[in-house]
Amino acid sequence: MKVEPLLYGDRKVYSVAGFNRGVADWLARLPTLWIEGEVTELRRHDRWASVFFTLKDPADGACVPASLPRRAFDALGLGLKDGERVHVYGRPELYAVKGELRLRVLTIERFGLGAHLAAIERLKAALAADGLFDDARKRALPRFPRRIGLVTGNDAAAKRDVLTTVTARFPAARILVAETLVQGPRAAAGIVAALESVAREDEIDVVVLARGGGSFDDLLPFSDERVVRAVATCPVPVVSAVGHEQDTPLCDLAADARASTPTAAGKLVVPDLAELRGELARAQTSLAQSVRRAFERDRDVLRRAHDSLERGARRALERDADRLVSLRDRLRRGPALLVERRRAGVERTGARLAALSPRATLERGYAIVRARDEILRSSAGLSPGERIEVELAAGGLGAVVEDVRE
Amino acid sequence: MTELSFEAAQKELEGIVERLERGQPSLDEAIALWERGEELLRLCLARLDAAHGKIEELAQRAESATPFSEPDR
Repeated sequence: MKVEPLLYGDRKVYSVAGFNRGVADWLARLPTLWIEGEVTELRRHDRWASVFFTLKDPADGACVPASLPRRAFDALGLGLKDGERVHVYGRPELYAVKGELRLRVLTIERFGLGAHLAAIERLKAALAADGLFDDARKRALPRFPRRIGLVTGNDAAAKRDVLTTVTARFPAARILVAETLVQGPRAAAGIVAALESVAREDEIDVVVLARGGGSFDDLLPFSDERVVRAVATCPVPVVSAVGHEQDTPLCDLAADARASTPTAAGKLVVPDLAELRGELARAQTSLAQSVRRAFERDRDVLRRAHDSLERGARRALERDADRLVSLRDRLRRGPALLVERRRAGVERTGARLAALSPRATLERGYAIVRARDEILRSSAGLSPGERIEVELAAGGLGAVVEDVRE
Repeated sequence: MTELSFEAAQKELEGIVERLERGQPSLDEAIALWERGEELLRLCLARLDAAHGKIEELAQRAESATPFSEPDR
């Protein structure tokens, strides 16, 4: 923006605001640069949109105020503290209200980080080539560890988080704590020694390696080759819970399980007793239900089978009974019928016999006359005075012959 | 005579009746046949009466029994 001066005769005069704007315009044309210095007077507040600090030259104490958006600062995840050496990438600008020069920061790197990072990346590639990070090497964590080894610093937070979580979830858990230095030049050897000694203890089924959040430098021992190899070769499964979510020290890659925080590690190594009880109760309920269902199903099948058996038997019985009733009736009618038919036959024959009876002839007035026990058909041979027998329809008589006619 | 079965008695009776109807037997013979016929007739009727009585008795006995009671449920 062009700044227009007032004219007093041949003198050009600028307003303060106009001057500041002019300087700001000039500064805006300067390139973005890397500047090395020490962080001091770091001021970060959740309510502020920006984070402020003063970048100080460690050699002669020269200072420049600096700021960057809070969100960008948090995204870097550096955990910066006053006095730390940094490289700052930014450009100068004028805070127009106060006429103060300040550094607008785009990004910050901890000094020397680049060299460390490169070394870690080289080690990571070498260890990966050795197969230390292979998924096939990961062992399953025991569901109910007899004893849990905990390797941690003697500072409270990480140790307390693991112990509290484990005890709250599974009160019967037994934990063996091995304290060690977790930062500084002697930390790596200490961690390896603690890990090896705790893994050798009886009944240790899993080891948790825990350390709270810290600066990049603080976490360096957990990327040390000795530590990473000790984790990979540990005789029991190892849970690595080092730093915060965004940190990935190499021991995380070699461990059998990785937890983002010590609390999460506690959840990984023991089951939740209350949940376990709930699961058991649900299993018990569903077991009882399925047994009852199976029982009812079988009972229904039996009941239906029994019903149809009974119906079948009843039908067969009724059919047989009907047949018997009909047989009985025919049995009873048969002989009576036979007797009646025979009687009719006999009676017909009897009637014919009666019709032929000689007595029927006598009934008509004839008589049978016998002499000397012979039936008489002629008077010849008879003499007067001879006795004869006369048979009539009713009764008979004896007589004497009076005379004989030819 | 009581050893004679109903069928044999009936057959003999029918034979006698047929002979009487068909032939001219002598009167003595006819009378003897007729007497025999009467005897056979009585025998047959007695046998039929006995059979009838037996059937009635058995039927009555069967009637008083209950051979087809419903099975218990």
